Amino acid sequence: MSNPGRDWEDGTPERLYVITGGRSGPVSPVPLDLVTLIIAKTGPRPGMQPEHAAIMRMCRSPLSVAEISAYLALPVSVVTVLLGDLITAGHVLSRPPVAPAKLPDLALIEAVIDGLRKL
Amino acid sequence: MVRVGSSPGSPGATSPVVWALPALATAVAAAVAVAAVSAPARTPVAWVGAVAFAAVALACAVAARRSRAVAVLRAAVAAQEAALARQQTETVRLAQELLPDVVERLRKGEFPEEVLASLEEPGTHGPGLTPEFRAAHQAVLRSVLEAVVAEEDLRDSAQRAFVNIARRVQAIVHQQAQELRDMEDRHGRSPDVFGDLLRLDHGTALIGRLADSIAVLGGARPGRQWSKAVPLYSVLRGAMSRIIDYQRVELHSVSQVAVVGPAVEPLIHALAELLDNATRYSPPQTKVHLTAVDVNSGIAVEIEDGGVSMSEEARRRAERMLRQAQEGIDLADLGETPRLGLAVVGRLSQAYDFQVSLRASAYGGVRAVLVIPQALITASSAASGVAHGIGTASGPRAALPAAGAEAPPAAVEAAPAAVEARPAAGEHAAASDDAPAAVRPPAAARPATGPRHPEDDDVPLVTERTATGLPQRRRRTRAAAPDETAAAAPAAPAAPAAAAAAPEPEPGMWLAAFQGGLTGDTSSKTVPSRRAAASPNTDASPNTASKGEQP
Repeated sequence: MSNPGRDWEDGTPERLYVITGGRSGPVSPVPLDLVTLIIAKTGPRPGMQPEHAAIMRMCRSPLSVAEISAYLALPVSVVTVLLGDLITAGHVLSRPPVAPAKLPDLALIEAVIDGLRKL
Repeated sequence: MVRVGSSPGSPGATSPVVWALPALATAVAAAVAVAAVSAPARTPVAWVGAVAFAAVALACAVAARRSRAVAVLRAAVAAQEAALARQQTETVRLAQELLPDVVERLRKGEFPEEVLASLEEPGTHGPGLTPEFRAAHQAVLRSVLEAVVAEEDLRDSAQRAFVNIARRVQAIVHQQAQELRDMEDRHGRSPDVFGDLLRLDHGTALIGRLADSIAVLGGARPGRQWSKAVPLYSVLRGAMSRIIDYQRVELHSVSQVAVVGPAVEPLIHALAELLDNATRYSPPQTKVHLTAVDVNSGIAVEIEDGGVSMSEEARRRAERMLRQAQEGIDLADLGETPRLGLAVVGRLSQAYDFQVSLRASAYGGVRAVLVIPQALITASSAASGVAHGIGTASGPRAALPAAGAEAPPAAVEAAPAAVEARPAAGEHAAASDDAPAAVRPPAAARPATGPRHPEDDDVPLVTERTATGLPQRRRRTRAAAPDETAAAAPAAPAAPAAAAAAPEPEPGMWLAAFQGGLTGDTSSKTVPSRRAAASPNTDASPNTASKGEQP
């Protein structure tokens, strides 16, 4: 209490377990990892939890789970739980990242980079 | 002599004249007898008469003196009785009026010296009392005052000790909650650890509430202070986070308003106590409904449980407890199994003008309504402490506004944790996680110039220097909009430009733009799959462009 309130000033009164309803584990019907891409089917609906609504707004264009986590400043587990809710409710779609075999040729990328550096 | 004659209740006036009569009668009778008897008997008769006269005169004199003494005594007794009666009235007045009045004035905070001085003024005592008696009364009053003051001091110091201890507990709890939050960020990826951390966090919040309760009952503020307004939704969830059965609370519609900073913590605490009551006294499988609606006098927060309905008598008792608490509660009065809840709510509602009422609920349980006065409400837009930096009020096109308006609070919040949390995020994150980490500092720096709008930012390709000294081009923000087909035109140049733009805080957007550029198609169905195909490509680009030195 030597510095009352200073370091809490930018926090929030809510704790993470309230946001997830006490859940911490994966509740999603599909496996989600950091690079899974999330796309919202619609905009946010009224009456949604603010975090859900924020995800819906954010994911109008595809975003990875890690990015969502970073923008919301919430741990990945929380985001996973929230996304699990949204996926279960059918508000968002998830797309797993492509397998490495489908990657474009590395040489092509390097050529592009080289070309860029020469600009 | 006059007093004797006029003394009340004396049976007949006994003046010395009356007492002289028997002696005179004896003298007359002796003289008559001397005159009547024969000459030789005259001398003895005269002697006898003289002796009789002397004896009677003596007896009468004694009797007269005694009667005078009796009269004096009687008068004295009467005077003393009168004095005693006055003293009795005065003592009764002392017990029934003066002492309660004095104690009351002390309770109200008057200084003992002032109270004593006012008592010593003339007129506070009845007339006809001796100075000694008055002095004795003053002495009694003073010692009672001293006793009361000493007791109040003792209680004050006990309360201060309570508050002091509570403050220390609060400080520890705050610190621990903060550390837990950091740990939650750090271990966010492993659900097991994270779940344990959440449980610890919850337990810590419960301890914090208890400490807050003790502080409130000790007459202090609850816990921390908030300088900024906090949205009501966050306040309600903050209250939920401090009770055991938060999962049973259903948060329904909430007005889009915010609570001014100084009232945030008291409100959270009062609501948490009411929620705790509601969850504790209703069956475990039932829900507790929490809503907040606009009313004329402010915002009414309703807490309804489906438990056992309170009888009218129990309801009255609870409301009486609330009222008592509003008048001030003594820590010593709480009893062996203290039910702090309502006492705390009463205290807080008195200090912050909340109106609390308990009624029977339509669900069969209890419906507690807490009305937040209008003065403590502010517009939601004024609130900056938006829940976790998520703009609840930002428009549907969150992408660009989100970068300008929402990222800053998030960045500020993350700033203290950035040193440890961000590397932690980076180490487990794939390349895609590096991108937000890389763009975060510029995002924090943005608000100085305000949110960036696409139309403002049409300046083409400004050359800048990064922190590492590399030349860098700022990407056209126009390209960020996925629904702008113009961005799709120069496909290949647009992508490297986008990749080079480190300060762009919306990687998802430029990825989409990149995709749009590659495919020339911006529909949401085709973008994701194509985008996914190329995402490692674009993820690699910013790494090489913005962090050129990194392997």
